[in-house]
Amino acid sequence: MKKMVGSLVLSAAVLGVAGCAGDSSSGSSDGTELNFWVFGATNYEELAAQYMEENPDVSIKVNFSEMGDLHNNLFTAVSSNSGAPDVTMVEVSQIAKFLDAQDRFYNLYDYGAEDVKGDYLEWKWNIAENTDGDYLLGLPTDIGPSVMFYRKDVFEEAGLPTEPEEVQPLVTDWEGFKEVAETVHSETGKVMLDTPETMFAAIRDQAPEQYFNTDDELIINESPYVREAYDTTAEMIKAGLIGKNEMWTPEWGNAMAEGSSGALLAPSWMVASIKGNAPDAEGDWGIVQMPEKAGNWGGSYIAIPKESKHPEEAYEFVEWLVAPERQLQSFNDSGMFPSAPAVYSEESFLNTSDEYFGGLNTAEIFAEAAETVEPIYMGKNYSIVHDELMTALINVASEGKDPDKEWDEAVKRITSQLDRQ
Amino acid sequence: MSKVISKVSLYAVLFIGAFLSIFPFYWMFVMATNHNSVINRVPPALIPGPELVNNFQNVLSNIDFFGAIGNSLIVSSVTTLGVLFLCSLAGFAFAKFHFKGKNLLFGLLLITMMVPPQLGLIPQYYIITKLGWLSDLRAVIVPGLIDAFGIFWMRQYISSNVPDELMDSAKIDGCSHVRVYWNIVVPIILPAFATLAIIKFMYMWNDFLWPLVVLRDESVHTIQIALRGLIDAYVKDNGMILSGTFWATIPLVLIFLLFNKLFISSLTQGAVKS
Amino acid sequence: MSADAYASKKWTEKRKESVSGLLFISPFFILFAIFGLFPMLFSFYLGFQRWNGLGEMEFVGFQNFAFVIEDPIFWKALYNTIIMGALGTFPQLIVAIFLAFALNSALVKFQSAFRAAFFLPYVTSTVAVAIIFGVMFSNQDFGLINVFLNLVGLDSVSWQTNEWGVKIAVAVMVFWRWLGYNTIIYLAGMQGIPNDLYEAATIDGATVWQKIRFITIPMLRPIIIFTVFLSTIGALQLFTEPLIFLGGGLRQEGITVVLYLWREAFSNMAFGTASASAIILFLIIIVFAAVNSFVVNKAFK
Repeated sequence: MKKMVGSLVLSAAVLGVAGCAGDSSSGSSDGTELNFWVFGATNYEELAAQYMEENPDVSIKVNFSEMGDLHNNLFTAVSSNSGAPDVTMVEVSQIAKFLDAQDRFYNLYDYGAEDVKGDYLEWKWNIAENTDGDYLLGLPTDIGPSVMFYRKDVFEEAGLPTEPEEVQPLVTDWEGFKEVAETVHSETGKVMLDTPETMFAAIRDQAPEQYFNTDDELIINESPYVREAYDTTAEMIKAGLIGKNEMWTPEWGNAMAEGSSGALLAPSWMVASIKGNAPDAEGDWGIVQMPEKAGNWGGSYIAIPKESKHPEEAYEFVEWLVAPERQLQSFNDSGMFPSAPAVYSEESFLNTSDEYFGGLNTAEIFAEAAETVEPIYMGKNYSIVHDELMTALINVASEGKDPDKEWDEAVKRITSQLDRQ
Repeated sequence: MSKVISKVSLYAVLFIGAFLSIFPFYWMFVMATNHNSVINRVPPALIPGPELVNNFQNVLSNIDFFGAIGNSLIVSSVTTLGVLFLCSLAGFAFAKFHFKGKNLLFGLLLITMMVPPQLGLIPQYYIITKLGWLSDLRAVIVPGLIDAFGIFWMRQYISSNVPDELMDSAKIDGCSHVRVYWNIVVPIILPAFATLAIIKFMYMWNDFLWPLVVLRDESVHTIQIALRGLIDAYVKDNGMILSGTFWATIPLVLIFLLFNKLFISSLTQGAVKS
Repeated sequence: MSADAYASKKWTEKRKESVSGLLFISPFFILFAIFGLFPMLFSFYLGFQRWNGLGEMEFVGFQNFAFVIEDPIFWKALYNTIIMGALGTFPQLIVAIFLAFALNSALVKFQSAFRAAFFLPYVTSTVAVAIIFGVMFSNQDFGLINVFLNLVGLDSVSWQTNEWGVKIAVAVMVFWRWLGYNTIIYLAGMQGIPNDLYEAATIDGATVWQKIRFITIPMLRPIIIFTVFLSTIGALQLFTEPLIFLGGGLRQEGITVVLYLWREAFSNMAFGTASASAIILFLIIIVFAAVNSFVVNKAFK
């Protein structure tokens, strides 16, 4: 029982309810306690432990929740000035929303962030800045250059080559990818991808614009790119090349373990999920570059809510946590691709080979993908649009619904939700 | 002959009912002891496997299971004790005292029993944030102390079980009202305490919506909120998820089986008598 | 106080009683005022404000109500709630009557063991029920229910995305958790029905069905009204089962009114529209309660 209940005057007075000590957050130990909210597959628990060892006066409590929950909780917490942690991850698609609540987070420029600016990719850094460039919401963690993971065992069963050097030429563009998918499907009966989302995201992330323009106006009906990603995905669903799982469900995780699909289009941070969900599939996975061009999917920042009483200590920890050296560690442990270019030229980074992926030099592959990544404006209501489009695609996949009608329905739901923001 | 048939069909109905009631528990145990890969295949596992310990270790690496059980225990028992006290005191007043506004206040109480709790959800949340109680167990305990049914129940019980003569004679002896409550009323209404305690404890233990809204931090999660966290873990493992669910469910099931008569009568008589 | 000394003893006694009474109820009513009454009333204020929790509140008249009423998802949520509630409740109450009747039969041995078995699901938390049945109702071919369907020659159902699949799965969760509870309540009621009524009916050659129809149900009338009322109110507040079953995505097939309200508030940060939908839910429950008692009363006349 980490937290005892504060005294309950009424009942305690008469019934003598025992055991009502004070708040533990006000601290029995003399050091600083930092609450740290994280989501996804990171190695931050280990890094926090390491930090505490080096700084015995600081204790860090890492608190994991699901990504959507974390951002909802964070927003309600900062908006009510109650219940926010000292340090929190913020995903790139949520940054714009929290930049709106600037006054609820410390400006990291006030704590010396300027000094480390040069260590990080410029585009990554700029996303967390306000338009005037004098306020910084968070320090960058990883970026998500996307690649194509594929199952060697499934490819072999389909009579396809299995080594990356031979697979790569087959999937230089989406036409080639489709052909491979058709071969996998006709030879093994398996799908190429087990969820529509990864296909959709892969094409979407190659485009110069996504759901909103920089004035935060919805552009999915005017701009061709998202619609193209949607239509291509729907087409492949209809052709039986894409399965009906939703990402992050037990079915999805299990499909990964079973190797029931041929490939997985995903960013580097997916590595930890792959290893976690399919621990027995060591050696079964290969990695090649994404057809046509890599995009950036995800990646995060670390911010310090105003509620924290220890901004200096928190900032020190954050700066340490995302320093190039630790980013290298995070990459090795969890596949979080560094946003600090200094890492790219480090010997130990370039020479990593991952036994799980058959001894591939994963760093090199992701680094090559990262080179083509360009920053894209996401907007503060990104997740509303994304969730509804995913619902539409899942409807097409699992209910066989008409893609055009589903698109219109989704747009209707999106505009109705945007109206009340 | 027809008597035999009706007897057989009678038992058939009862056994099917009992089987369907119990099977999910058995199946949960089967899942909790099997590896995810055994669960996710055709035909699925139907007998327990060897992964009991492993699955539970995975639970422990994903959520603070015992911490969450501890939070649930604190929330449920403190609220229950508080409600027993507050409701018996108020129920006593409503049953035996005459005072101004009594009927009005009691009527107000009955009306609020009819109002869905969701109506006040957002302002309640707002109050909690103003008090700075977000992610603090008090956010669940203090509002949990309000129990209109409890007062109603206590009033009924005291009205019909505490004789006026006993009270009058106590007063003649010079007992203060507090003494009357403590020395005379409380011993008589112990059975009502048991009933209300079971109802309230179960309610608080199983409550989900309100704790979900106000208990944001993992360190204050109750077991129900923590179980939801298992579904959101980034490694998707049904064996692990059902292991957590199984171990969270079993304590209450065992207590129920031990005291099932008391439980059943408590949880239903409240309903029947009101 | 000195004035009291001159008053009759009876009067001070009365006054003391009055003070004690108010004192005894005050701890409860103070809490109630802060955490019960005030929030309910404040909801009506918030329903007319535009507020995202961050900035200032802004009075917008009936705009929030218009948003909700013009939102097809709200109507979908209401429709879902009613369908899932009806599917989970009415078959359940009917089966409960039969189960209770069987349990009440003089022939039955091990009555208390059966009672405990039927009641067991009620001890399980809603979250646990939703998790267990969520895994059973998996979309995949290896989901327990789909395996069973395949076994009897039917196709697998995509339970979590199919319009009726979601509703049936959620209704089954409600059915399973509450069946035993209502059975025991009916049983308690049936034990109050004099046995000679049944004996007389047996002598007259009545069938089991006739006994239930003409003796049990009329005698149980108040209890049936009560359980229908309680189940209806409970069904309108469905939240946990669909949330756990559908996960964060909250697909439209399973969104309920309370889920809609919850999402408006804590994921869309539209506290005004959320309050407006809470008020609308409140009005709907009143209407249902009224219709309910009207229909039930009529049906038993």
